[in-house]
This record gives sequence, C-alpha cells and structure tokens, in this order.
Amino acid sequence: MKFYRVNALLYKYLKISTNRLERIFDIVYWPVIDLFIWGFVLRYINKLGAVHGSFNFIFGGIILWVFCWRAQQDIAVYVLEDFWSRSLYNLFASPLKLSELVVSLFIFSLMRSILTFGFLFLIAFVLFSFNIFTINLTALALFVLALLLIGWVMGIFISGVIFRYGMQVQIFAWSVAWLIQPFSCVFYPLSSLPGWAQKVAVWLPTTHVFEGLRQVINTGIINWNGLAYAYISSLVLLVLSCLFFKRCVEKAKKLNLLTSHE
Amino acid sequence: MNAIEIKNLKKSYGKTLAVKGISFNIRKNEILGLLGPNGAGKTTIIKILAGVLTKDSGKIKILGKDPDKEKEFVANRMNVASPDSELTGIMTVYQNLKVYGKLYGVKNIKERIDYLLDLFEIKDLKHQKLKHLSKGQSTRVLLCKGIINNPEVLLLDECTLGLDPHIAYKTRKIIKELNATILFTSHNMHEVEWLCDRIAFMDKGKILKIGTVSSLKKLIKTEKVKMKFDKSEGLANFFKKLDIKILSLKGDTVVFEIDYKKHKLQDLIEKITKQGFKINDIIIKKASLEDIFIKVAKREL
Ligand SMILES: Nc1ncnc2c1ncn2[C@@H]1O[C@H](COP(=O)(O)OP(=O)(O)O)[C@@H](O)[C@H]1O
Ligand SMILES: [Mg+2]
Repeated sequence: MKFYRVNALLYKYLKISTNRLERIFDIVYWPVIDLFIWGFVLRYINKLGAVHGSFNFIFGGIILWVFCWRAQQDIAVYVLEDFWSRSLYNLFASPLKLSELVVSLFIFSLMRSILTFGFLFLIAFVLFSFNIFTINLTALALFVLALLLIGWVMGIFISGVIFRYGMQVQIFAWSVAWLIQPFSCVFYPLSSLPGWAQKVAVWLPTTHVFEGLRQVINTGIINWNGLAYAYISSLVLLVLSCLFFKRCVEKAKKLNLLTSHE
Repeated sequence: MNAIEIKNLKKSYGKTLAVKGISFNIRKNEILGLLGPNGAGKTTIIKILAGVLTKDSGKIKILGKDPDKEKEFVANRMNVASPDSELTGIMTVYQNLKVYGKLYGVKNIKERIDYLLDLFEIKDLKHQKLKHLSKGQSTRVLLCKGIINNPEVLLLDECTLGLDPHIAYKTRKIIKELNATILFTSHNMHEVEWLCDRIAFMDKGKILKIGTVSSLKKLIKTEKVKMKFDKSEGLANFFKKLDIKILSLKGDTVVFEIDYKKHKLQDLIEKITKQGFKINDIIIKKASLEDIFIKVAKREL
C-alpha cells in the first residue's frame, strides 16, 4: 500500500465533488430535509402531549444514521463515477492496487459523513435545541465507528455487484442502506417490531447500535454486549465484502467489463 | 534483450476466440506495429498487456517480470493510450493529469504536465473541463497521460485516430523519439511504415507474418509497372503473347503487373523495343505496406 496513490484518488474524488453539484447536494440536501421532517413531526407529536424524551433518541437516530447511509452511498457513487466517465481502463492499467482503491473510498466516505454530521448537528442544535454531544462521548464514538463499518460493508458489497453487473444495477447505489433501515430500529425499539421483523432485526449489527443508543440516552449505561456483537459481526462482514469485491473485479477483468461500456 | 515476451497467448470472449495462441517478442526500445483488419485481436492483446483484461492462457513477461505477480513493478514502468479509455470528463485537463501523475509517482508533477501540454500544443486547454474538448483534443490529453511517467514500455492502440495531419505528424515524431519499447496499432499504413522497426500482421486472432518493413516487402515478388508508348495498336496482343497480366490499357498507356519469378524488367524492355515499340515513359510502383496488407489478408503471401 502506497499512500501517494491513495492520495491521488482522494484528490480525484475531491475534484469530482467540487465539479459536480449532485455530489454537494448529497452531503446536505436529503439529510437536512430528513431532519426537518422529523423535527416538525416531533414538535407536533409533542404538542399532542406525547411522552417527553422520545425527541432525543429520534434526533440521535437521524444524525447517527448518516454515517451508515453516507458511507454506503458514497462508496458506491464514487465507484460509479469511474464507470460513468469510462476511466476504469486507465485506472486499472495504473499501478493502483485494489486495496488502495478501497482504502481511499473508506477515507473519502468518512470525510463526507463527518461533513453531513456537522450540518445536522448544527441544525438540530440551533433549530431544535438538540445537542448530540450530551450523550456519553465514548459511547457516541463507538456507535459512529460501528455504523461507519456497516456502511462500508454495504458500500463495498454493492460496488462489487456494480463491477460484476455494470451500471444496470446502479439504482442499488442509492438504495441499499434504506433497505435495512426499517429493520435497524433507528427510531423505535426492537420490542415494538412485529415478531417476524424482530427475527430479522436482531441479526443486524445496526439494530444493536441504535438499541444501545436508546439505552445510553435513557440510563447512561453502555450495553457492551450489544456493541461487541455489532463490532464482531460488522468486522466479519467487512472482510467478507472486501473478498467479494475482489472476486467481482477479477471476474470483470475476465469478462472485459472494465473497458467495454454498456 | 526482450522487453516484452508473449508465448502462446489465448483469449476468448464467450464463444468468440479473439486471440488464438499468439507468440512474439519485442526487443528493448523497439517499436512493433500490430497491423490487421478490424476484429483481428489487436486491442485484445493490448488490453491484456495493460492489465485490464485477464488472459485465458499463455505466458507474458514484461521487463523480465510476470505482470500478474509483479503488477506494481510493471505498471509503474508501463503506460497505455487508447481511445477505448477515457479520463474524467467533469475534471479539467490539469486535474486529470495530476491524478495520473500522482498514481504513477511522478516527481515535479506540475512541471511535467506543463511540459507535456506544451509538447502536444494544448497548453491553452489546461484549465478546460475534459468533456468540453473535441475528440482530437482529448486524444492528445490521453497521450499526455500515456507518457506522463516516462514509460519504458508503452502500449498505443490507434492513438493517432482523429488527430489533424499536423498534430498526427508531430505525435509520430514524439513517439519515435521516446526511449521506450512500444507496441503500436494503427490503420494508417504510412504511419506504421514510417514509425515501426518491425511489423506483425495479424488476422482472426493469429499472427500471419512478422518482420521488418523491408523484409516483408521482399515477400512480394510482383511490381506494378505503367508504360506509355508511341502507338497503341498491337499492344494488347503483344502483352498477351508474353503472358503478362494487363491491369489496364488506355490508348497508348498500359499498366501491368510484372512477376519477377517469370520475367526480368530488363529482358522485357528489350523485347518491347525489338518488336518496334518505343517507350515514352515508365513508372514502377514498388509494393507498399498496403499491398502487403491486402495480400496477407487474402492469404496470398
Ligand atoms: N467484449 C467483447 N465481447 C465479445 N466479443 C468481443 C469483445 N471485444 C472484442 N470482441 C471480439 O474479439 C475479436 C477481436 O477484437 P479486437 O481485439 O477488438 O480486434 P481489433 O482491435 O484488432 O479490431 C473480434 O471478433 C471482436 O468482435
Ligand atoms: Mg482495436
């Protein structure tokens, strides 16, 4: 692994971002809209006299979800950028290693996630007077990292699928994270799900992060077991998804998918 | 010393056998031209060497190494320019070249890019987005990318396609002066003849002939001769008797093909004058690379 090649890709991703309005929109537009909708809904529910305190974990959920969502989508979309520009031929003829490509995607998606996080923190703080940093900071950092890992798992997995099946599957680049959101108990506890959905949800690492978030907000206690499950499962999945990605790229090289543009 | 060694290389796309067991070597700093009709398999070979396509079987050595095992060593010293490849359209020329300068670990990237843009006369496009350039202009940017790392091995797949004559000429000169081992494909015969030390003719996934231009030309034993006489009557009959194939006969001018296995030009001229014809003008057209190409493709050689 050579850092100057990772740096080359980070530079490229940065220039793509500043030259393409959509990539700037990604960071701000949908996350902020999401926050506004939930913010206003919660205000209304609160006026109806619902239980106080629900505010915090829903805001916390929205803001932390961003790490999972952004990480997944950014990895897939920046891989797609190279498909759209048909530059894979030049990229793969260069000394770049697959591991360097993956690491630069990790780093860049992390930077973009932090930017979105910053925006959401500010808006939640100013408009809805919610300060996410009142949550136990150790727990918060651990949650963020776990969600990032899961976002990377999904991003790398879907990138592999794109390498293998081309741009006809590009819709998944934007939608995979949303597929697991309903089952990840971002806004509601696991116990509130119907039985069959609980059976699915309990396997997802994300569920254990958001359950842990609620527990910390309510009781101040960190659920180490839940966190351990989230970390072990997402690290295993990360290794698997990277292997899958490698295989997909190798298959694409066999089938001449890197340089033929459909 | 060979910079590129290819042994029994095979590649198929599904049921299409694109490369059917090809072997050849390219010596260090030699320019080898790969010629052949569309679909011959030239691009397939280049893509495999560039590392963007996996071969089915065969052995490849580039700079003495197996590129599958020592990708970094090989890729750092190699580069490719092909119209099949593109750069990032929404980025500027400079930004694109900077990315590749960094990827290839080029020192003094800024100076190198300025030098290359100047070389290909596109300095004024430095800060233009690539998507706004014409085809010929973006081809020049691709060429800049192709030599940004001063490659020891350079793969050029129809890289002069769409360049205007002045830039195409300049590009050939630049390529010729590079100190690199080059595999070059083009449909422009003059270009190939002028540029390449050796030429390999391929068709349908096989190499039919390989050699220097002059050695290939020696394979053709016929020449076209155009003669203008002082009179026209009796000409057709006379040539028929000599067993010479007339390609065209217009008035007093005859174009025929002389086969050196059967005739010597000297003897022929003697016979003509003996018969009372006077030759007013004579033009001998040497076999061109194009003639060889056509004959090879028709399997006449
Ligand atoms: N992606 C592909 N899928 C199927 N067949 C292909 C593909 N690419 C090339 N071919 C076939 O392989 C053969 C060689 O193609 P190519 O190497 O591009 O030839 P050339 O560059 O000499 O024109 C052709 O018959 C072509 O139709
Ligand atoms: Mg071709």
